[in-house]
Amino acid sequence: MSHVDDGTLHAYLDGELAPAEAQGVGAHIAQCPACRARVEEERALITRAGELLALAAPPERELPPFRAGDVRPLKRLWWQVRLPLAWAATVVLALGIGSYLGSGSRAVTDRSVAEPLADRSRELVAADTPARLMPYRTAAEPRVAKRAAAPPATPAPAPIPQRVADAVVPRADTATARAYVETGAESEARVSERNRLEDVRDLWKTESAISIDSARRVLGTDPLVVPGVPIEAIYRGRHIGYSAVVIVEQALDSSTMIQVINARSAPLALGEVVVTGAPAPASRADSTGALERAGGARAQVASSLGAKPNARLMFEETRNRPLRRVGNLEIHISGPLPSDSLQRLLRLVQPVKP
Amino acid sequence: MPQDLAEVYRTTYRALVRFLYRKVWDAERAEDLAQEAFARALIHKPESARGWLFIVAANMARDDARRAARERRHLTLLTAEPQDSRSATDEALEVESDRARVQAALDELSPRDREVLLLWDSGLSYEEIAAQTGLARGAIGTTLSRARRRLVQAYEAGKAGEHVARG
Repeated sequence: MSHVDDGTLHAYLDGELAPAEAQGVGAHIAQCPACRARVEEERALITRAGELLALAAPPERELPPFRAGDVRPLKRLWWQVRLPLAWAATVVLALGIGSYLGSGSRAVTDRSVAEPLADRSRELVAADTPARLMPYRTAAEPRVAKRAAAPPATPAPAPIPQRVADAVVPRADTATARAYVETGAESEARVSERNRLEDVRDLWKTESAISIDSARRVLGTDPLVVPGVPIEAIYRGRHIGYSAVVIVEQALDSSTMIQVINARSAPLALGEVVVTGAPAPASRADSTGALERAGGARAQVASSLGAKPNARLMFEETRNRPLRRVGNLEIHISGPLPSDSLQRLLRLVQPVKP
Repeated sequence: MPQDLAEVYRTTYRALVRFLYRKVWDAERAEDLAQEAFARALIHKPESARGWLFIVAANMARDDARRAARERRHLTLLTAEPQDSRSATDEALEVESDRARVQAALDELSPRDREVLLLWDSGLSYEEIAAQTGLARGAIGTTLSRARRRLVQAYEAGKAGEHVARG
């Protein structure tokens, strides 16, 4: 047998040669001093390379749990989870294409939504509560002052909200829109709204009110808010699957409060995927559809690895609830508005100005 | 019959994190990506989970690196000031510089050599590496021997270069 080449020698030392071949190499080495010396050299090289790679290793951490000790149900659940997910992926794809085709006209609608909304909140702030604090000023501030100086248009609640409602809910859903318009007048509605607020706070395990600076620290970035709408309060929240949650409450008008929930995803714990189970395909289509429709977010999601797998969206509370992903933040908006309007608001969110 | 993923998780998770770390050079990110790879495996239920995980992980790391490069371009504009590292202990600095040297040495390998070396170090067999990289099984030994030699040489050369620069 001729001398052993480097590749064969490494395969030999790695224990990756077929038995017969390994035997041949062993026999040759036994009677060839030159190859024996090389074996030692290459063995040292392999060890050294391994040592160097070990220098470039991440810090050892405890293995995150993988449904510790309970493997059998896991298998069964995979099976249950699999079909709906495949389903949803198809639906999302279809929606994605749909929203892409429809995006041209939507851009226009957007502007018409943003303007009246921002205007309206300024009007209301200026007109009915001049002393109200507006700590988060926007570039548009001077315009507010001007409006306040001019005799305010009679703050008749009916026509203005109607305008907003028209803009926010451009088609369909007029019944819901009217219901929303009326909330300003009816105290009963206010009570139910308060309950709803509390529901949201409960869902996200709201802890305490925090300052904007704390919110920045918690999130590691500026919280996202709907620009031009006064911030009433900021809370810190907790939720499984998220390493940081900040909830910003903004007053759309004197009786309508929305919450912008900024949630930073924690690394996905596999246990959650399995335990949660799959919701009905229809509702999944809805929540991921919202994600897809959120302008701009679509491209980000597609390009972003940070976009967690579909299983991530399986939390029950994301059903029917608009969701947008900005960087590594998930943004939800809740409030007593039709989901169409919430989705539109969701597209307006921007990092809060200092 | 698909492999039992829980078992694969137990035996492969750390190797997968290590593999990813040597591509993205960020421990947190590596863990995130590894967990996402497993979450995807839960959904896709691949036939051979281990090999599949490394393929998915390699793809994710590549996309991640592209994005990171874009973000870095922005960041360099903001961090022109050198960071103060005096607070770090000498030992930590030593570990860090070793790591950086190995990173630099790995960078000098050809992508194929580096991939094969990292996969081997992650515990994949020649068979699995061949399947993943598209190389012939018989070529893996040769590739590995070359990759190991270059890694050690590049590391030593880098170290020597630093000493010359200092002295």
